[in-house]
Amino acid sequence: RLKTHRLSQLGCHTCFPRMQQCRDVSVSPPLFNKKSELPSGETAMNSRLSGTVLQRLTRSGSACCRHQAGPRFGPCRGLTESGRGTMNVFNRDMKKRQKNWSASLQDRDQYDYLRDEVGSRVADRVYDIARTFPLALDVGGGKSHIAEHLSKDVVERLFLTDISEKTLTEIPTSCVLADEEFLPFKENTFDLVMSSLSLHWINDLPGALRQIHQVLKPDGVFIGAMAGGETLYELRCSLQMAETEREGGFSPHVSPYTAVTDLGNLLGQAGFNMLTVDVDEVQVHYPGIMEVMMDLQGMGESNCAWNRRSLLHRDTLLAAAAIYKEMYGNEDGSVPATFDILYMIGWKPHESQAKPAQRGSATMSFGDLSKISQPTSTDRP
Amino acid sequence: MSGPNVWSRSREKLRQFPEVFAQCAGEAAAYGKCVTATTKGRQELHKDLCVKEFEALKTCFTNAAKKRAK
Repeated sequence: RLKTHRLSQLGCHTCFPRMQQCRDVSVSPPLFNKKSELPSGETAMNSRLSGTVLQRLTRSGSACCRHQAGPRFGPCRGLTESGRGTMNVFNRDMKKRQKNWSASLQDRDQYDYLRDEVGSRVADRVYDIARTFPLALDVGGGKSHIAEHLSKDVVERLFLTDISEKTLTEIPTSCVLADEEFLPFKENTFDLVMSSLSLHWINDLPGALRQIHQVLKPDGVFIGAMAGGETLYELRCSLQMAETEREGGFSPHVSPYTAVTDLGNLLGQAGFNMLTVDVDEVQVHYPGIMEVMMDLQGMGESNCAWNRRSLLHRDTLLAAAAIYKEMYGNEDGSVPATFDILYMIGWKPHESQAKPAQRGSATMSFGDLSKISQPTSTDRP
Repeated sequence: MSGPNVWSRSREKLRQFPEVFAQCAGEAAAYGKCVTATTKGRQELHKDLCVKEFEALKTCFTNAAKKRAK
């Protein structure tokens, strides 16, 4: 208790107000209108209302209720220079079992929509770099949703790691069973490291980023995507309000996430430079809270925080379903679930990279900026 | 996977949840309104604040589930 309190004062990057904790749940297949490559067959999409609203950038204060101002406690991942291994928020073994379970589902393809979408966007960012990468690594790539969207001209050889052995088996690339928290590669090995939707389950994020930095060659690039920010705030708030009203208190059901504002610092501390961080808000529409939870489970994204409560009382579930619908429901009867996907790009420093100009080398004064910005009448067409 | 067991039976029940829940839309809306009202007004949310609305919702839900089971 004392420790977490201290951390929050330090401004640890994943401290959440008490509101923001939840449980993992999950599952149902919504459609992405935008993308038609979803498996057309067995998806249970029939009666489901769906659609995505993809918006760049964040919502302004989306918070649902006023408990938000409460004192902070609960899981904090500390950023700071605390060294590795000090943070232990998530039960990695549980995460592995969840992933194995979801990989063993017969209809597992229908839960891939989010990973596919995010994977393609990560691949987009790889294409933005006009280079061929001889050797790339996908951290926590599972079934390799990124590689599906890449071509051989861009990435010549790919290594894939995942914590769950079952998700790995289908891929024709070189697969390595490895925990993202302990990368078993030599320093300066890869030209490109990618990661899609797996970093948000890592206990020691600063340490993991440092390891990624290590295995990269100089001038190598890391392109990653993870869930963060206000992800699943609808579910988090509904469950909290339901538990408060039914049971007189609430417990974490949705895991803590990294805030986008901290991501830049984290990357910088890990040694990356020329950073790019941006947020995509992906909103998926589901028929109801049950489908949200079942789908998350099918994705292997159930909560695995140590402090999660394994029980969700059935009264609470009923209450949460009513609150979710009333508070966030759309007019057509569907309910939205928001995923804030944080994208990050960072480069391992190399002397060939652009550097800040020398101090005093400017030829213009900032004082003259106002003159520059005013176009003269002759410039106008 | 394995045959029917406690786990798959309870899972089966959960699968029926949306359908049964849909039959109590009115009660659910009443309860939802009661709870979400606390996010706007001065009223603090506390235990059993909306117990009346919840009981109505639960009765409706249980009856609907029973009917479905028959």
